Amino acid sequence: MTIESNENGAYVKKFSFRPFAGIRRGRLYRIWSISWQWWTHEWSRSRAVKFLIGFQLFTLLITNIFILTTKDFLLLGGLYESTEQILEQTLISLVRGIVSFQTEIRGESHGSGDNGFDGSFTIGGTSLFILILAVLVGSGLIADDISNKTNEIYYAKLEKYEYILGKFGAFFIFGNVIITLPYVIEFGLLFVGLGDIDLLAVLPLLFQVILFTELVNLTYAAIILAFSSLTSRKLYAGLTTFMILFLASMIVPALAFKDNLVIGLELLSDVLTLLLISSYIIMGEVEFQLVSMDGIPYPVHLADGVGIEGWMVLGGIGAIVLVGILVVIIQVYRRHST
Amino acid sequence: MSTEIITTNQLSKFYGSIRGIHEVSIKVPAGGVGFLGPNGAGKTTLIRTLLGILRPTKGTANVLGYDIKSRINEVRDRIGYIPEFNTSFIPDMTAMKFVAFCGRMNGLAHSESKQRASDSLYYVGLGEERYRKLGTFSLGMKQKVKLASALVHDPEIIIADEPTNGLDPTGRNQMLELIRNLQTDQGKHVILSSHLLRDVEQTTDYAIVFSEGEILAQGNIKQLTSGRRSSISVKVKFNEEHFLNNLKDKGFEVWEEGGFIEVKRVNDTENAIFRAANETSTEIRYLGSRSSTLEDVFVDLFRNKEGIQ
Ligand SMILES: Nc1ncnc2c1ncn2[C@@H]1O[C@H](COP(=O)(O)OP(=O)(O)OP(=O)(O)O)[C@@H](O)[C@H]1O
Ligand SMILES: [Mg+2]
Repeated sequence: MTIESNENGAYVKKFSFRPFAGIRRGRLYRIWSISWQWWTHEWSRSRAVKFLIGFQLFTLLITNIFILTTKDFLLLGGLYESTEQILEQTLISLVRGIVSFQTEIRGESHGSGDNGFDGSFTIGGTSLFILILAVLVGSGLIADDISNKTNEIYYAKLEKYEYILGKFGAFFIFGNVIITLPYVIEFGLLFVGLGDIDLLAVLPLLFQVILFTELVNLTYAAIILAFSSLTSRKLYAGLTTFMILFLASMIVPALAFKDNLVIGLELLSDVLTLLLISSYIIMGEVEFQLVSMDGIPYPVHLADGVGIEGWMVLGGIGAIVLVGILVVIIQVYRRHST
Repeated sequence: MSTEIITTNQLSKFYGSIRGIHEVSIKVPAGGVGFLGPNGAGKTTLIRTLLGILRPTKGTANVLGYDIKSRINEVRDRIGYIPEFNTSFIPDMTAMKFVAFCGRMNGLAHSESKQRASDSLYYVGLGEERYRKLGTFSLGMKQKVKLASALVHDPEIIIADEPTNGLDPTGRNQMLELIRNLQTDQGKHVILSSHLLRDVEQTTDYAIVFSEGEILAQGNIKQLTSGRRSSISVKVKFNEEHFLNNLKDKGFEVWEEGGFIEVKRVNDTENAIFRAANETSTEIRYLGSRSSTLEDVFVDLFRNKEGIQ
């Protein structure tokens, strides 16, 4: 023991503690370092994250190969009018796959939805996989700090709102890498692969894809972080979040579709389907069909004053996000400042 | 320029209706100071309030010239805090990564944070283990990691809340030595919070004594001990009872302890003792001055407090 302590003494002398003379970085840098630290740590330790990225890229690759090899056939057969349309239809159905469980509910646009290819490139598991992973990874974001008492360290160094921003930032890095980036890459691959496309004509689509995936990121972040802040057990937080989102999307549409002509307002409690509908709103469509699990198409009109309306959908998502953020703020400020 | 590093004025913090600290007014001098007090005395509450983790219910405080309400972030960058919990924080993160991360949250640039993390870990004696995961560390090592993460951003004040909790004697001595060296060799101001008097005596010269959210006493440990309770130990040959009563009648505070008669020292106590011996015709066999330890002061303070209530 004395030897050890002598060794320690030697280290102290050898490495003696240098005073810090530099300039301290600003607040944004510190917030960002919370986000980035979490992401790099999660990335280096979680196989599931790497596996999902691989799975996503593999799915996209298969889609690409299929589309590019059948491109001429699709055009000659009159299924599509132009390469722009192939790009559009492929990408849109892939992106919608993020929030629609293929076996259960699927949206189709009027007119171009009857060609049999719409949505067929979406691998049903993607949405489930993304959701599971988002919940698995994200539900520890605040809960772990509470159970490990790390928040004491954060609060001793930063403002509590900076901590909250850092945690949201962390989820956004995850969301952008897992949810947004693959579809931006897919856009690029299809654009190059299909050739002969006017960039200006398809650029709005790229923005719509980014807008939609960011909306998904924000919604997931608010819900997952809210549950994460409510308990110190990551597992409870994760299971609750997943069950609520998953069960809602399994049960609610069936209730909402009871009446064939009007889709019920119950749908407002199903976050995933709300996000699916919002993808139509972002693409500027107000009339389309939602296809239920048994294959029956239900017409939706978002601006006819009957049943569910566009503003309700956006308002519903907005309210959920707001409540989620509020829960996080209240928990973080209340948990340690009463 | 004042030499106080922390001043508080009527600082109060209530948890709902539970009292954390109540109208605490202290002046912490430069150098080292011990926060002393039994469990629940309010030491942690005061520390967390000074760091802006808790919002004070009432009162003001000032750390190194910065008001804790308006300039709390300046305060945070100048304090290194060792929380009292026994935890591995992020169990599957290496000590290096964790400490560097702590540095970045206090504004260190990326490369600087790594370098300083390495320095800090060497300083606390974990140089060899710095790439091991926190979850594999022993309690003593975890405490050292906490110290390293409190040092990494080169704060002027180190606040250690019960840093010896759960450590074996070796670990305890190492920890206290590290903390003391920070003061003596590195010129840091050190605040050591503990319910163990020995820890405080070993590390600092100045103590602030807490009880139930209030300050019982503050001052130099030597003064506290001599002022409050230094006594004269006496042994007499016979008529002990008489001798004792005679002194009591003269208005002295007298008690028996360890076979000695203890007489609290006031002016001219020795002469009075000799007179009492004369008057009760006994013989003094031993007379010695006894400077009490902080522990005695501590016990005494609490005795007095309970007496008042
Ligand atoms: N988060 C909290 N909520 C409610 N009451 C609290 C909270 N934290 C502390 N208290 C109460 O405030 C009082 C002071 O506690 P504090 O933790 O500051 O004491 P301490 O001197 O640090 O004690 P210890 O030696 O046990 O660490 C106690 O009565 C305690 O029960
Ligand atoms: Mg305490």
